[in-house]
Amino acid sequence: MRIGVTKFPGTNNEQDVIRALNSLNVKGELIYPWENKKLEDLNALVIAGGFSYGDYLRPGGIAAQSPVAEKLIDFEESGKFIIGICNGFQILCETKILPGVLTTNLSTKFICKWINIKTESTHSPLLQNLAPIIRIPIAHYEGRYYDDSNGIKKIISDDSVAFCYCDEYGEITQESNPNGSLENIAGLVNAKGNILGMMPHPERASFSYLGSNLGRQIFVNLIEEIKC
Amino acid sequence: MVTYSGKAKDVIALNDKEVQINFRDSISAFDGVKKEELAEKGIINCLTSVKLFEILDKYGFKTHFISKISDSKLLCKKVTILPIEVVCRNISAGSFCKRYGFEEGIRFEQPLIEFFVKDDEHHDPLITESVAVQMKFITENEAILMEAITRAVNEVLIKIFDLISLQLVDFKLEFGRTTEGQLLLADEISADTMRLWEKKTGEKKDKDRYRQDLGDVIVHYKDILERLNSIQKLPDYKPLSTVQVIIKLRKSVLDPAGEVTFHSLSRKGFKRIESVRLGKSAEIAFNAVPSSVLQSEIEEISEKILSNPLIEDFELKIRHHSEKSEKEHFQEK
Repeated sequence: MRIGVTKFPGTNNEQDVIRALNSLNVKGELIYPWENKKLEDLNALVIAGGFSYGDYLRPGGIAAQSPVAEKLIDFEESGKFIIGICNGFQILCETKILPGVLTTNLSTKFICKWINIKTESTHSPLLQNLAPIIRIPIAHYEGRYYDDSNGIKKIISDDSVAFCYCDEYGEITQESNPNGSLENIAGLVNAKGNILGMMPHPERASFSYLGSNLGRQIFVNLIEEIKC
Repeated sequence: MVTYSGKAKDVIALNDKEVQINFRDSISAFDGVKKEELAEKGIINCLTSVKLFEILDKYGFKTHFISKISDSKLLCKKVTILPIEVVCRNISAGSFCKRYGFEEGIRFEQPLIEFFVKDDEHHDPLITESVAVQMKFITENEAILMEAITRAVNEVLIKIFDLISLQLVDFKLEFGRTTEGQLLLADEISADTMRLWEKKTGEKKDKDRYRQDLGDVIVHYKDILERLNSIQKLPDYKPLSTVQVIIKLRKSVLDPAGEVTFHSLSRKGFKRIESVRLGKSAEIAFNAVPSSVLQSEIEEISEKILSNPLIEDFELKIRHHSEKSEKEHFQEK
């Protein structure tokens, strides 16, 4: 089984993702921006978080123009799995593989804290057997999910909302929305269920010694699904 | 069948895409008040235009010229001629001096660009860009592009004529719009549409010979053509067009950073501020002369990469930098 983890200049979460994969007996391998040919041999790809290319232009804006990103559509169409985390989610939106855009937090502050999310969509294999409320960290300046009203309608009718920000009781409230995302959206999944983008960091919630291991199930699901 | 007959040329529509332009021997001045027939004039102006269009084409300018049918007939792309012509002046002369009372021969530090309405009845009046746009003669985009192209053409023509010991005083350009919206250099470029002085003596070689009854009009027109034909190697020219792309958050999108700036300014006592929106600006330099094609390319870059249309709008400002002004710019730094 081969799972790639992207490493753009400025990506800083790739080792955390690899550690989570290693603990599940999968060797994650780094994929650099120019290694588009390697994608063909991979079973899945994790686009790790960080600040690719310094987030110049827009978060993920330059990474979305890279040779690897140009191949993402083929990858998606072949039915292989992609998980985009934080900056990875931003890159998936910039390449238009997922709809909408992530823009500046309402507070204009970089937010780094533990929050709670709950799963909304049920159709993707990546979202099975997750805890009802997932305690998980976020760390971003531009995590406010935005799409125009038609876009939001489509996301909801397509059952594309993977995660919503919620309080510790699972209530989706305004107070529990850390960044002002529309509809409290914390993550999206495509209709086919093979592309997941999320602002929270499951790799940082994959071991109980980190404070939560409730994000680990996402990687478990990914590996199980590739094995099938 | 002649579709349009001008003061010195006839235009015949051949099909949807092409026209034939016949150069006549007529010459006129002062909005057609003074006119005459001069033998060979049609052929000479036609061949001069061919030569100059071919030269401009080699430097990357987009023109309406396709090929020569005969020595006085051209095959050209069919365009809608814009009602605004652009004049570029390096040295004061002609209507410029008459209008302001300046003497002839003042060398401008930077070439001057003027827009005129093509309207004999009102003596082709000078028009400002804002009026030309407001009255829908041309679009704002076209106005910017026409000026940029004219500046670049000026740089090339100065070099060309310098090679053959002629000084480019001023010239006029006409533009046409294709059905696809592309802007092309149109009409003719000849001694009828520019002023050229002998570099050493200052002797006039252009239509002023006719206007001012200096005589030997055709002799001098012919001499210009012969000198142009004698050019062996075209001079080097490194074009530099820059475009400023301003990227703004759409009005419907919240701008938290702008809000924070707004509150900070308000706290500082600037009470009259209504709102603040922050955006981005990119300045891109191209090694190409300005054209509609370049503009489309810039639009593509701006729409697909520089901005995210979901939340951002963009605005373009295309300019052409002369090699000289660019050097000066660097020296300043």
